[in-house]
Amino acid sequence: MSHAKTVRVGCGSGFAMDRLEPALDLAASGRVDYLAFDALAERTLAMAQLRRQENPRHGYDTRLEDTLDGLAPYVADGLKVVGSFGAANVEAAAEVIVDRFRNAGHRGIKVAAIVGDDVLKQVREINPFIEELDKRVGDLGERVISANAYLGAREIVEALGQGAQWCVGGRLSDPSLYVGPICHEMGWSLDDWDRVAHATLVGHLLECSTHITGGFFADPPYREVDGIENLPFPLAEVSDGHAIITKLDGTGGLVDDRIIAAQVSYEVHDPAAYTNPDIVADFTQVTAETVAPHRVLVRGARGKARPDTLKVLVGIDMGWKVVAEISYAAAGCLSRAQLAQKIIAHKLEAMGGDILDSRQDLHGFNTLVGDGFRDRRNQDPVEVRMRVAARCRTRKAAERLSLEVERLYLEGPAGGGGVVRRVEPALGVFPIYVDAGVVTPSISYMET
Amino acid sequence: MGSPRLAGDLIPLREIAFSRSGDKGDTINVSVIAYDKKHWNLIRQEVTTDVVRRLYAGLVTGEIIRYELPGTHALNFVMKGALAGGVSMSLRVDGHGKSFQSLILEAEVSAPTA
Repeated sequence: MSHAKTVRVGCGSGFAMDRLEPALDLAASGRVDYLAFDALAERTLAMAQLRRQENPRHGYDTRLEDTLDGLAPYVADGLKVVGSFGAANVEAAAEVIVDRFRNAGHRGIKVAAIVGDDVLKQVREINPFIEELDKRVGDLGERVISANAYLGAREIVEALGQGAQWCVGGRLSDPSLYVGPICHEMGWSLDDWDRVAHATLVGHLLECSTHITGGFFADPPYREVDGIENLPFPLAEVSDGHAIITKLDGTGGLVDDRIIAAQVSYEVHDPAAYTNPDIVADFTQVTAETVAPHRVLVRGARGKARPDTLKVLVGIDMGWKVVAEISYAAAGCLSRAQLAQKIIAHKLEAMGGDILDSRQDLHGFNTLVGDGFRDRRNQDPVEVRMRVAARCRTRKAAERLSLEVERLYLEGPAGGGGVVRRVEPALGVFPIYVDAGVVTPSISYMET
Repeated sequence: MGSPRLAGDLIPLREIAFSRSGDKGDTINVSVIAYDKKHWNLIRQEVTTDVVRRLYAGLVTGEIIRYELPGTHALNFVMKGALAGGVSMSLRVDGHGKSFQSLILEAEVSAPTA
C-alpha cells in the first residue's frame, strides 16, 4: 500500500472535562484526517471504576454520547477518531458507540475496542510493593480499586490497518493516541525509533488541547492572548522529519514558538529520556520556529528503543477527604484566622486516630507559595481565609470535622464568614512498573 | 519598567523568561523558557538549583534536578517531594502544583546588558 506524505491530526480533547465545540469545529473544517481524544487524567480512571461498581453499564467517559452525536456525520464522511473514552468500561463504551451510530442511521462504520489495560488481576498475582504506602498490594485487600497499564500505539495501528474508523480504549498513553494514526498513515514501523519519537513529540504537544493555543499562558502585561475566551484546539500537519503545529483561521488565541517551547518540557522529567510505552524520546534538540502567523515548525526529536516495562496506576481507597474554609477581614484578620486555626488544631487532636493526615493553610498568605517565601515580604493581608484539609478514616469523621468549621460562625473569633465545606472519597493513585509481557491487550471489532 | 537599567542591577526573572509547570505523582517539573535566546546563557548561569531550592523552601522536601533543553532555550527543574503526597493524595490547595510556575519567576537575575 502507498503511504501519505503528510497526515493531519487534531486534538479532540485534552482532559475529561474538556469542551466539545472546538473538536466539532476541527471536524467541520475538513482540515484534519483524525481527531484524538484524551479523556483520562491520573485519577479519572479510578473514579470511573467506582461508577462502574455502582452500575456495571457505566464507567466510561460521561461525555461519550454528546461526542458521538456531534461527530457522527463527520465520521460518516470519513473522519477517524481515536480516544480513551472507555475509561473503566471499554466494552460498554463500544456498545454505546455502535448503538448510537446505528440509531442515527450510519451503517458500515467499523468500531475497534482495545482492551487489556485493566491489569488488576495480574497485579494481585504479582503482589507488588507500593513504595508510598510501604505495603504490598495483597496487604491492602479490597481497598485496591483499580490497576490500569498505560498502553502504547501498537493496537491502534493494528485496528486502523483493519479499517477501524473509531478506536476506543481505556488507559491509552496520551501521545500514543496520536502516534497510532501518524505511524499508520505514514507507514512508519513502530521500531523506527526516530520517527516514533517525532510522532510522540507531535502527540505530546497536542494532547493538552488549549495548552498550545493560548491557554495556561497569559500573564499581562508580559504575555497577552487575544481572544482568550474563544480558544481553539490545535492541529498538526505531520511530515517525515518535521511537523507544522497550527490552529483554525478565525479562532482566538495564538500558536507561536514560545508556547510550543513551553509545552515541549511540560510534565517531562529528563528531556533526554521522555519515557512512553512506544519510545524513550530525546527532546533536548527539538526546535520550534514560527514560520507564519500561528504556524510553528517543530523538528529534532530523537528516539531510543521502547522500555521493557509498562507503567501501571493502582487506585486505592484511602478513606475520606474533607476541606472546610472560613474568612476574616480587615485589621487583625491574620491574628483572628490564626486563632481559628488553634481551635481547629484542638479539634483535630481530639479526633485522634480518626484523622489520618491533615493540614491548615491561610489563603492569601501561605497556601501557594509556602511559609519560606512569605517571610521575605512581611506585608499584612487585608483579608485571609482559613482552610483545613484532612483525610479521615470514615465519612462520619470527615463530616464531624467539617461541622467544627461551620461552628466557628458562633464559637470562633470575631467576624468569621463565608464557610464552605466539602467531603469526598479520598482516592489515591500510585504508580508501579510491570514487565510489558504481563500486559496482553486485544482488539475486538464491531460494525454499525 | 521605571528607571533605565544599569549593569549590575537585579531584575526579576519574569522580565526575560516565562515558565510552565506540570505534575507526575509527587514530582513537579517547572520549566523556564527565555523569551530571547540571547538571554539563555545568563539564565543558565544564574538560575541554579540553589536559587530554586531557596524559593521553594516551604514547598519542596526532596531533590531538585536541573535539565537543559538547548533546542528550545529552556531549563527544566524537576522537584521531588513537591506536592505533599501527589495530586491524588495531597491536602494542599493546589494539589497539582499548577501555581508552582509563577514562583520561579520571582528569582532575581542580573539585568542583561544587551
